Amino acid sequence: MDEFQEILQDFLIESFELVEKLDEDLVELENTPEDLELLNGIFRVAHTVKGASSFLNFDVLTHLTHHMEDVLNKARHGDLLITPDIMDVILESIDLMKALLNIIRDTSADAGIDVAACVVKLDKISSGEGAVDTPVATPEPVEEIVLEEEIVEEEEELDYDNMSPDDLEAEIERLLNERQEEDKAKRKAKVEAGEEVLAAPQIEEEVAAEPTPEPVVTPVPVTPTPPPVAPKVETPKADVKAAAPAKRAPAAVEQTIRVDVKRLDHLMNLIGELVLAKNRLIKINDDVEERYEGEEFLEELNQVVSIVSLVTTDLQIAVMKTRMLPIGKVFNKFPRMIRDLTRELNKKIELEISGEDTELDKSIVEEIGDPLVHIIRNSCDHGIETPDVRLAAGKPETGTIALKAYNEGNQIVIQIDDDGKGLDTDMLKNKALEKGLISEKEADSMSEKEAFGLIMRPGFSTAAAVTNVSGRGVGMDVVKTNIEKVNGIIDIESEVGVGSSMKLKIPLTLAIIQALLVGVQEEHYAIPLASVLETVRISKDEIYTVEGRSVMRLRDEVLSLVHIGDIFEVERILDASEHAYVVVLGLGTSKLGLIVDNLVGQEEIVIKSLGDYLKGIEGIAGATIRGDGGVTLICDVVALMDMAKGVKATAMVESSSAAQITHEKSKPSDYTVMIVDDSKTDRTIMRKALEPMGITLVEASDGQEALNILKAGDYNFDAMLVDIEMPRMDGYSLATEIKKYNRYKNLPLIAVTSRTGKSDRMRGVESGMVEYITKPYSADYLASVVQRNVNFKAEFL
Amino acid sequence: MSDKLKQIINKQNEQQNSETLDQSNDIVQLVGFIIGEEEYAVPILSIQEIIKPISWTRVPQTPAYILGVFNLRGSVIPLIDLRVKFGLSSKNHNEETRFFVLKQGDDVAGFVIDRLTMAIRIKKEDIGPAPDTLAGDESMIDGVGKQDDRILTILKVAKLLERDF
Repeated sequence: MDEFQEILQDFLIESFELVEKLDEDLVELENTPEDLELLNGIFRVAHTVKGASSFLNFDVLTHLTHHMEDVLNKARHGDLLITPDIMDVILESIDLMKALLNIIRDTSADAGIDVAACVVKLDKISSGEGAVDTPVATPEPVEEIVLEEEIVEEEEELDYDNMSPDDLEAEIERLLNERQEEDKAKRKAKVEAGEEVLAAPQIEEEVAAEPTPEPVVTPVPVTPTPPPVAPKVETPKADVKAAAPAKRAPAAVEQTIRVDVKRLDHLMNLIGELVLAKNRLIKINDDVEERYEGEEFLEELNQVVSIVSLVTTDLQIAVMKTRMLPIGKVFNKFPRMIRDLTRELNKKIELEISGEDTELDKSIVEEIGDPLVHIIRNSCDHGIETPDVRLAAGKPETGTIALKAYNEGNQIVIQIDDDGKGLDTDMLKNKALEKGLISEKEADSMSEKEAFGLIMRPGFSTAAAVTNVSGRGVGMDVVKTNIEKVNGIIDIESEVGVGSSMKLKIPLTLAIIQALLVGVQEEHYAIPLASVLETVRISKDEIYTVEGRSVMRLRDEVLSLVHIGDIFEVERILDASEHAYVVVLGLGTSKLGLIVDNLVGQEEIVIKSLGDYLKGIEGIAGATIRGDGGVTLICDVVALMDMAKGVKATAMVESSSAAQITHEKSKPSDYTVMIVDDSKTDRTIMRKALEPMGITLVEASDGQEALNILKAGDYNFDAMLVDIEMPRMDGYSLATEIKKYNRYKNLPLIAVTSRTGKSDRMRGVESGMVEYITKPYSADYLASVVQRNVNFKAEFL
Repeated sequence: MSDKLKQIINKQNEQQNSETLDQSNDIVQLVGFIIGEEEYAVPILSIQEIIKPISWTRVPQTPAYILGVFNLRGSVIPLIDLRVKFGLSSKNHNEETRFFVLKQGDDVAGFVIDRLTMAIRIKKEDIGPAPDTLAGDESMIDGVGKQDDRILTILKVAKLLERDF
């Protein structure tokens, strides 16, 4: 049974691949009905599927393909001219074939679809012109056909049914010889071409025939250097498995191996973790560098860290490339779709495809299929006019839809152009008003771009009536949702009467991106670098207020501004500085200046989802884990721009100094002093000196701990005794940090240290220390300094 | 020697078997914790782990009881303050504060609790339904356990992990 499953899987993978190619070929065939090579190729597909399915006892599928084969065979021999009507039947039968394959994939059996009607049609075609040398397939009864099939196992164009067994043997012998000759010739040609002869075809076959459990696997090039050709060449496996007589695949066989997508996903996740670890390593390296400046081993460490980060980056790119698929995979189905639509809508439309070799991450390729279908249907239905209207407008009768893909920086652009009637902004606005999607005021203030954007709104449709093709007002909404899911941008341009152009800009990969890290108060946020145009440092007086909104002049433009703190409701505990940074965000043609407190830097980040519980939070696209193990949120630039419209500017208004609640001191223990020293002995000495006063004492063993205690806000400190030399955070840095908080701006900091140098004292003053006590000191002296600084009431003495 | 060993092993097996029988039949294992003044409990199997408080990142545009997200060995997990969720005022974390990481299916979240009490084995018959006024699909209470002179409120993990904003 297992073996059967294995064969079945292979059969399905192969068949789906073949069928995918078939659609494209058939449409092309309709344009060039005389193309024998094309016909042969199509015939071979039907033939291969038939052979394999009869071998696997899929009777219905065999029955269907057999009749398809009949028709195609006739066409191949020139007995039948492929007309659009015949093509309709052939396409119908191919759809049935696909449906059957899907059923086989799901249930391992091919029951449930009635092919009789289609078979009758096929028969009509093949018999309509009169039988020449193909056997006229008997209609209706299925059993009979199947029986016939069993014999036809070892098939060729010739009519074997009527051959005697001996003749058959002879024929097989002849064919085998022929094929061996062919192989020999090919091998010879290879040698002559200086190519390495791989130990005959067997090796290639082994590689390709490696069984894979997943039916959805797609071939992945092992060597990423030359971009693989979009439509798969007929795999050598096809010949092996189906024992098809067709010619061997073209000489230059791609060295490919099928890999389960799950494995690639896993690999990608691992790389993601590696990138995070690398970031962490770089952070640690910086810390170590700071602490052990000038040590010799540092250089070595530096080298290792840079090699690790370099290799990680390369590895990441390499793995990313293995996940890349040519976008042709998606484009393939459109010629067929256009063909069907033109017949349905009675329009003449030509589809031009270019750039189908452009590669995209697999997960993105899967996501953009649906949006493209909707966009193209839309172009056909609403964009391109009927032939008479076009002629009247002085345009060529046949409309053109151009579908192209190309790289642009870190993005892939998929562009869909049509030369139809274009989008009429007034009409769009009116429709939207009618449906109550926008208010009159909104309609008036709408820019052209925003009006085009209306077609993406759910429930919006310009179609007068719901047709088979479109008009339900769902499609373009799907486009927007799917494209935004992959962090893409949609850009619409249109001119009435000339046509419209839609650009989908999609990032190359989803998982790992370059980001700009910005700081606001104590929080950090990551902004995808792809949406950052530039950063500017400004002072507060460069910000103007127009109609309640902040703006600034950027060269000769007026840029509207919004503070990131207003969008994300950041609590303002730190003192705002005189200067701020503006990150200029660009999306399509709209721009926005995002004010942040500081710029942290550029980093490669791995996007992690916030999980089901927190998904869909406006303005947040996800989270990433930073080098220090903390979590940083990633901004969703699209949403940010949207949110900015409704935000009132408050951040840059000088916050009225935090209400300083001074508690009346009624007893000595109301006074609280923090002792920060890394030495337990020193802390005890200070404690002993101050305890007699009866004040409350809190101890911290280093700057970081002291800062945490301050942040927790459990105590109202009246003064702090700070040692200068401490691990993790020294006294100077601690003082600088403390002074950033509005609340502690006036907290007296008293340095207690054995450093006596003048420069040390100067640094102390600079960082905001009010007193400087040098060790050793007398207990009385310390007590008196503290009393003076906390305004200790004389009555408690 | 080997006979003896066999005997011992057999005995052990028997014991284990009888124990597991015991468990599966009518014993429920819970972990108890304190929020405010009350003792609550959740099934032990729904707990992925219990950790000491670590730093977290605030997430904007969320209700007050969602403190933010934290990094648990590479996964980003939401952190919920049960005190605030249960209508109490938030409290600074102290030595006894713990993060309870609960998991059901793919849903994972961390919950801040004031204090752990203990692992509890309680008979099924000692668990009563939630009071009528609190029962129903919307309630977070699965049942009320009685043990000695204590009363435990057993919480619905699925409800805790459900997003309700």
